[in-house]
Amino acid sequence: MGRWPHIIGFLLVGIAVGLGLGLYLGWEAWPTEFTDATPEILQDRYRRDYALMIATNYAADGDLASAERRINGLGKDGVANGRAYYFSVTLDTILRNEDVTAITYMVRLATDLGLESPAFAPYLVGGGNAITP
Amino acid sequence: MPSRRRRRAPEEFATPQEQPARISMTSLLLVGLLIGLGIGLYYAWVVEPVVFVDASPARLSDSYKEEYLFLVSQNYAITSNWEQAQERLAALDDPQLPETVNVLLERYLREQKPPQVVENLAALAQKLGAEGSAVALFAPTPLNGQAAPPTPTLTPTPLSAEIATPLPTNTPTRTPVPTLTPSATPVPSPTTQPVYRLLNQERVCDETAVSPQIEVITYDTLLNELPGVEVLVSWEDGTDTFFTGFKPALGAGYGDFTMQPDISYSVQLADGSPEVSGLRIEPCDGDTIGGWRLTFQNLRYTLPETSDQ
Repeated sequence: MGRWPHIIGFLLVGIAVGLGLGLYLGWEAWPTEFTDATPEILQDRYRRDYALMIATNYAADGDLASAERRINGLGKDGVANGRAYYFSVTLDTILRNEDVTAITYMVRLATDLGLESPAFAPYLVGGGNAITP
Repeated sequence: MPSRRRRRAPEEFATPQEQPARISMTSLLLVGLLIGLGIGLYYAWVVEPVVFVDASPARLSDSYKEEYLFLVSQNYAITSNWEQAQERLAALDDPQLPETVNVLLERYLREQKPPQVVENLAALAQKLGAEGSAVALFAPTPLNGQAAPPTPTLTPTPLSAEIATPLPTNTPTRTPVPTLTPSATPVPSPTTQPVYRLLNQERVCDETAVSPQIEVITYDTLLNELPGVEVLVSWEDGTDTFFTGFKPALGAGYGDFTMQPDISYSVQLADGSPEVSGLRIEPCDGDTIGGWRLTFQNLRYTLPETSDQ
């Protein structure tokens, strides 16, 4: 009877040390390798650049269905978030006064996706800032 | 006389019941350690694994990496911004990137992707230094690294409407201003559609050649060399004709025509192709002079399979 507390004590100490070691190895030393990422979990700068590439490609090939599918893939947790994210990024490029050509491409796609904003007007065809083909 | 209390040396613990107690404590620690390690690893790898939220393109799945490469190649064709393209490609962190792009290019060919998509990807592959027959056929710049000369003129005509993947009318070019009014569906041109398209045009500088030549190589739809194709050569004072396939040592689809100095030639295939004009003997590096190599692809005809294919 007197030995049982010692037995349980040693066991718990071993488990505690092992648990700590296992968590350290699993989270820090040998974390799971993640190589099946989707665009929605890209770092923000890569995600924004991805959006720009989609818009630039759309300006050339006019394939709205493909562009829309790619934009939807940028959103976390669903289609609506993809469109919302793209809208947000488009506005950001305007507000940051980035390259006019890039803004024009992004505004064109945003408009064709049904997204609207007064900030888009100068960059639509016929607007003051739109690039001319 | 009181008895002296005798202390027993450790080796004098004689009873078997006392020795196993010490050993089992160490075992208990070890067992506990192993159990804890297993629980910890299971929790860290399965229950609550590390969640990546700020991934780079290098972490994308294979299919998304391919889409990323497609977008980079298309963007590069539109903007001609190689620095930007390089930054995007560097984010993939792929030490075998030229080969990766080359493999994707060959897959696009087999999947009959639109010609412009193939050409843009081939241009990217060539820029990365990839080597392969697909790159050689579809990349826009000469293989020997010499810059495309300004004198030859190219009058391409739109492809036939019979082709399953017609070219879009707003074709991206090296100048960075595509149309802002893209059409949802490409509109075929009402003009006559040629049977062949020009795949490649490059200067040939061969020090061993007796005299500069216009070399023509013709392929079928699946890029098998095609013999028996009539080639029309014209210049200010005359015309001539030759057929591919009469020099099988140089290829089943090969034919050539000897150029003369100070004459500008135009070449076209009799069955219908873009006319390539302004072809002259051009100086090469050193004291050599060079001719031209034109590669054409038939867009409607495929050689029948033979038993030895």
